[in-house]
Amino acid sequence: MSAKHQTWGWMLAVDFFFAGMGGAMLVIAGLADLFVGRDSVSLLGSVVGPLAMCVGCGFLILELGRPLQAWRVFMNPKAILTFGAWMMTFAIIFGFIFASFAIDFSLFFWRDSALLRHLVAILMVVTGLIVATYPGVLLARHKGRPFWVGPGIMGLFLLSSLVTAFAAHYLCGLIVAPRNVPYLWEAMPYVLGALLFAQGLLWCGYLWIKLSGTSKSEAASAKRWISGDQSQQFKLAFLFFGTVAPLILTLIPLTMAAAMAAVLALFGGVTMRLLTVNSGNDRTMIPGEAIYRSRLPKGHEKFLGKAWL
Amino acid sequence: MSTDVNLEQEGVEVKKSACYFCHQNCGVLAHVKDNKVLKIEGDPDFPTNQGGLCCRGNIALKHLDHPERVNYPLKRVGKRGEGKWQQIPWDQAIAEIASRLSGIRSRFGAEAVATAGGTQRTDDWARRRFMNLFGSPNGFHNAHLCWIPTFMVETAIYGWCPFDLDLGASRCIVLWGQNPGASGMPEAHHITDLQEKGLKVIVIDPRFTETAAKADLWLPLRPGSDLALALSWLHVIIYEGLWDQQFVDEHCEGFAELVEHVEPFSPEWAAPLTWLTPEQIRAGAHMYATNKPGNIQWGTSVDQIGRPAGATMHARALLRALTGNLDCPGADLLTGPSQDYLTDEELEGNQYLPEEQKAKQIGSDKFKLVSWPGYSKICELTKKTWGKVPTAEWMCEAHPPSVFRAIASGDPYPVKALLISATNPLASYGETDVVLEALRSVEFMVACDYWITPSAMFADYIMPIAGALERPIITNSYGCADFMLTSQRAIQPMYERRNDFNFWRDLGTALGQTDEQWPWKTVEEAYFSAIKPIGYDVESFDEFVERYRFHFPEREYFKYKRQGFATPSGKVELYSSTLKELGLPPLPEYVGPSENEIDHPELAAKFPLVLTTGGGFMPFHHSEHFQVKDLRFLRHSPFMDINPETAVELGIEDGDWVWIETARGRMKQRANLTSGIHPKVIFTQRCWWYPEKDMRDIPLGGQLGGALESNGNILTCTQDDYCDPYSGTWANRGLLCRVYKVEEAELKEVI
Amino acid sequence: MARYAIVMDTRRCIGCHSCTVACKVHNELPTEMVYNPVVSDGPHGTFPNLSMRFLPLICMHCENSPCVDACPTGASIQREDGIVYVEDKKCVGCLSCVMACPYGARYMNHETGAVNKCNLCMDRVDQGLVPHCVATCHQKARIFGDLDDPTSEVNRLINENNGVQLLGELGTEPHIYYIG
Ligand SMILES: Nc1nc2c(c(=O)[nH]1)N[C@H]1C(S)=C(S)[C@@H](COP(=O)(O)OP(=O)(O)OC[C@H]3O[C@@H](n4cnc5c(=O)[nH]c(N)nc54)[C@H](O)[C@@H]3O)O[C@H]1N2
Ligand SMILES: Nc1nc2c(c(=O)[nH]1)N[C@H]1C(S)=C(S)[C@@H](COP(=O)(O)OP(=O)(O)OC[C@H]3O[C@@H](n4cnc5c(=O)[nH]c(N)nc54)[C@H](O)[C@@H]3O)O[C@H]1N2
Ligand code: SF4
Ligand code: SF4
Ligand code: SF4
Ligand code: SF4
Ligand code: SF4
Ligand SMILES: [Mo]
Repeated sequence: MSAKHQTWGWMLAVDFFFAGMGGAMLVIAGLADLFVGRDSVSLLGSVVGPLAMCVGCGFLILELGRPLQAWRVFMNPKAILTFGAWMMTFAIIFGFIFASFAIDFSLFFWRDSALLRHLVAILMVVTGLIVATYPGVLLARHKGRPFWVGPGIMGLFLLSSLVTAFAAHYLCGLIVAPRNVPYLWEAMPYVLGALLFAQGLLWCGYLWIKLSGTSKSEAASAKRWISGDQSQQFKLAFLFFGTVAPLILTLIPLTMAAAMAAVLALFGGVTMRLLTVNSGNDRTMIPGEAIYRSRLPKGHEKFLGKAWL
Repeated sequence: MSTDVNLEQEGVEVKKSACYFCHQNCGVLAHVKDNKVLKIEGDPDFPTNQGGLCCRGNIALKHLDHPERVNYPLKRVGKRGEGKWQQIPWDQAIAEIASRLSGIRSRFGAEAVATAGGTQRTDDWARRRFMNLFGSPNGFHNAHLCWIPTFMVETAIYGWCPFDLDLGASRCIVLWGQNPGASGMPEAHHITDLQEKGLKVIVIDPRFTETAAKADLWLPLRPGSDLALALSWLHVIIYEGLWDQQFVDEHCEGFAELVEHVEPFSPEWAAPLTWLTPEQIRAGAHMYATNKPGNIQWGTSVDQIGRPAGATMHARALLRALTGNLDCPGADLLTGPSQDYLTDEELEGNQYLPEEQKAKQIGSDKFKLVSWPGYSKICELTKKTWGKVPTAEWMCEAHPPSVFRAIASGDPYPVKALLISATNPLASYGETDVVLEALRSVEFMVACDYWITPSAMFADYIMPIAGALERPIITNSYGCADFMLTSQRAIQPMYERRNDFNFWRDLGTALGQTDEQWPWKTVEEAYFSAIKPIGYDVESFDEFVERYRFHFPEREYFKYKRQGFATPSGKVELYSSTLKELGLPPLPEYVGPSENEIDHPELAAKFPLVLTTGGGFMPFHHSEHFQVKDLRFLRHSPFMDINPETAVELGIEDGDWVWIETARGRMKQRANLTSGIHPKVIFTQRCWWYPEKDMRDIPLGGQLGGALESNGNILTCTQDDYCDPYSGTWANRGLLCRVYKVEEAELKEVI
Repeated sequence: MARYAIVMDTRRCIGCHSCTVACKVHNELPTEMVYNPVVSDGPHGTFPNLSMRFLPLICMHCENSPCVDACPTGASIQREDGIVYVEDKKCVGCLSCVMACPYGARYMNHETGAVNKCNLCMDRVDQGLVPHCVATCHQKARIFGDLDDPTSEVNRLINENNGVQLLGELGTEPHIYYIG
């Protein structure tokens, strides 16, 4: 028996990470193409974007109680998750098509059509943006989950998606340099720094608002981050190593420093999602419910192992 | 996911059965096909439960064929307590047990065979019949803790004991140490119904219970101080002129003595003893005495406070009498024994026990009221007035702790055999150490039970007993009510299980008791003979159940006007000549709680908190049902109540394992921090054991099913000077203890 | 069309857990699954000035059911009579509904990988019987009935006693009301 895992676990957090990062990478790639010019991000970045989303999907499927039936998630158009699943699928497709424009392969006869490329870029930006945003929207709607509820979490997720996407694009560019206009790539650390600055600020603001917020349970949920069981990871892993440290590194005009900043920012992104998903599993309880549930068996109790009725 | 079976299919019969997981005996409808119960549900036509069932009632089918049930007689083949058994046929087991018992009888006399029971669960009159025919006076139950002393004290004062509440017209009910919200659920809803119509409810309980939370007045007294409260209520009622003058003048004796006796017991006197304010005490007395008619409902607590128990029952009985709340509409009724059907006493065969054997009853020299001396006296009186007498099984017993001590010590004489039936003494009797020593040292032991309990581990034979769905049932409050509710068996016993009745009858027969002495072959035959005199046009017990099921005689109020009270004077004896003749105080004299700060300051320095062990809680019944997963899941570990203030002082957090220790020993439960209890009071759950643990005895490398780990009775006391001089009941509530955290290292493998 | 509801009378509930067990036993739920916990709200206050009541919880069969909205497969269904249930074979166990439910009324069944919940004993209700948990409550603290029937006991109780819904501020419009 297992009384555990009654709520979303780490795999969903990892899915959110990859989906958010992948989606935002598409947005960046698409906008760069539309406004800066062709091939202004690394080909690797264009491929990693949709690929990351695929990996995210993989984690999502593994998180399911019945992975083999995963296709059913496309079935309820009214559900935000179904919408998300469709959008993710489209985004992945558009992402790969877009990437194909950058590949010198004769069979890709479409690669020279600028119109087509722009069209795909637009679709990719739109779907990518949705994918980067929707986990936040999904969480924000959970009225019984005090840490998630409210529009704030949407902003934080979108922001983090952008942070991680810039970091990923930068790293990709380091490995496979963008063919065109490298100044965009060179500017990325500064954008990343600015976003990290915003991230640090917004998170502190978010916790402050929750803490002084509308309900006791919101305050309690924020306390877990500030002084409770999540505070270590939040302060050390996310705020220091995932936000402040990379922010400082981006100020150092060295490729090595920027690369390290990017890696740390990715680490921060994963940490943030793990913490957020974990924290959102706290539900606003009915009076007396918390103590009731805390006294139910945890799963290791000996009597549970007996072949009793 | 509803898995309801198809009850429309052919051959399904509905049987009017019952639940016996507690003695409420809720009515159950059992849907049966081919001797298999397909489904059970509460019987909507049953007067108490009205279609409802509690947690335990609902798991009846899981209990019926639980993998841990004992289904065949088991004979011990290993060392005692080693848990090695051989399955043998019923008849062989009976023959072997009979031969062992007859050997013991010829070596040591019939009195060397004792039987122990628990609460009322089965046909105990058959056990008494067996013992009477066998010649031993040493049968007993732990029902000393449970109404029996109350019955005898009250009967001494006014000739019977009210348990039948005439609530309909009542305006006030005192729940004295009773918590129907957890212990008497089918009855709790009647109280709620009436409360909506204006019934006042007073709860006297140290804990803020399910019931207290709904009461009009809650009096959280110091555990064990009930006597001080009762005496001061008497004082208030007399000295503030609240008594029923006409009733007292016409129907009571000894008022003048009582007036003088209670003079010192003012609320101001009682306040420091009860930890209540004089205002609280007065408020309660006024509410009860001025909202008439009213009831005082019996609760087990007063039976369990040890030394002051008898005097408390005594004082409480006087409260009823002073207010005239006896046998009138809306008050406590004195029904007397049934005039219509054969009572349990008439089935017990008490005439078979020779006088010289009665005299040997262990403890009857020390505690006279609930043993042969007092019982004989009470019988004389009730016989004269009612024509019948109370049940001997329950009301006339050997003193349980003295028997356990006799087994271990041979004093006053050797007791060599112990048959336990429908009880788990290690869990439910007082002072577990004393019981354990007896079980380890007794020469021969038999257990009749559904399970291999920690107590049954010491048996030489374990007999598989049929449960409520497998046997007929008569419900009539220990054979002392004038009504009866009946139920039929849903199926014949499964496997090689038998009814308790059959065990005693078969054993008796194997020992040479005759068919004339046991004129009924089945329980149905016996019960049919009991109901026959009522005169229903039925041919069998089953037919009675199917067609009538209940027998409620027409209610007659004020019977005392016609026949007087069953006392020597025919009046309510406020000054009791019966008690006096037995060498007991004729008026309730003040005695402090069994252990207390005032009389035992040194003990209190070492054990600064006041302890009360036990009180029913859901979903368990005493030591039962820990094996039923669906129930155990809801409360898998034992909890004790402690006030948060005290917990902070002791560094205890909610859910921590803590030791609770008295002068007898210590056991561990988990802390439930609750403001519903006085900072100086500790309440523990009672009869815990852990059936999932190694059942072997501890010296043999086992854990004895964890029976010594969290069991409230390790803390209780049964020494003679802790026992009530009236009845011999011992001290579970109102003791002194201390509490401290269990060290991390001692915690591995607790649950 | 009926709209089924249960009124929980907290003046009558004694927190005995019988409803919990009746549901587990008769619906053969896995040990760890509790569709209808009964929690104790209190004691509040300091000794001896206290208050306490018991709250029997259950799926609220929300009119605006966030769980149904959240379900990507359509396995979570709301019937016209308001009963919310899970069609087992369609469920993929994504836990979206579990997370969306503000009342903790849904449980992953680790044996099947699907999510289970109280379905208001709809098989029984369809046969004109009351749910198991209602039938077993000897305190008559759970009253089952039809909100659309103006003469029903549930309507009377709700109106006369100002029945409230738990977490009513969330706008889920539960079909379970609490009085007392
Ligand atoms: N759930 C459940 N129900 C049961 C049983 C069970 O084991 N479990 N057992 C059945 C049996 S055999 C019996 S006899 C009945 C008994 O049922 P009740 O007569 O209700 O007795 P208890 O529940 O033992 O105790 C009642 C209350 O006494 C309080 N109390 C403790 N110490 C004192 C004290 O010193 N003075 C006073 N005034 N009160 C005190 C406790 O806090 C408790 O709430 O319940 C029956 N029903
Ligand atoms: N410390 C403390 N001790 C207490 C109490 C307390 O409040 N505090 N309460 C006391 C009270 S009120 C009582 S009544 C006693 C109860 O004491 P017991 O009656 O000993 O308690 P149970 O645990 O119910 O044990 C009954 C045993 O009988 C078996 N049994 C049940 N039905 C039958 C049957 O029909 N036939 C046979 N042969 N066996 C059956 C069960 O399986 C179980 O093992 O405990 C008392 N002990
Ligand atoms: S109250 Fe519960 S255990 Fe007692 S008889 Fe009724 S259903 Fe059975
Ligand atoms: S069965 Fe009734 S009284 Fe008992 S907990 Fe459930 S709702 Fe409350
Ligand atoms: S209580 Fe939860 S599971 Fe039930 S309908 Fe409402 S949201 Fe859905
Ligand atoms: S777990 Fe099942 S019922 Fe719940 S949202 Fe997912 S598919 Fe729907
Ligand atoms: S309505 Fe049925 S499924 Fe729902 S809690 Fe009650 S018994 Fe369980
Ligand atoms: Mo009892």
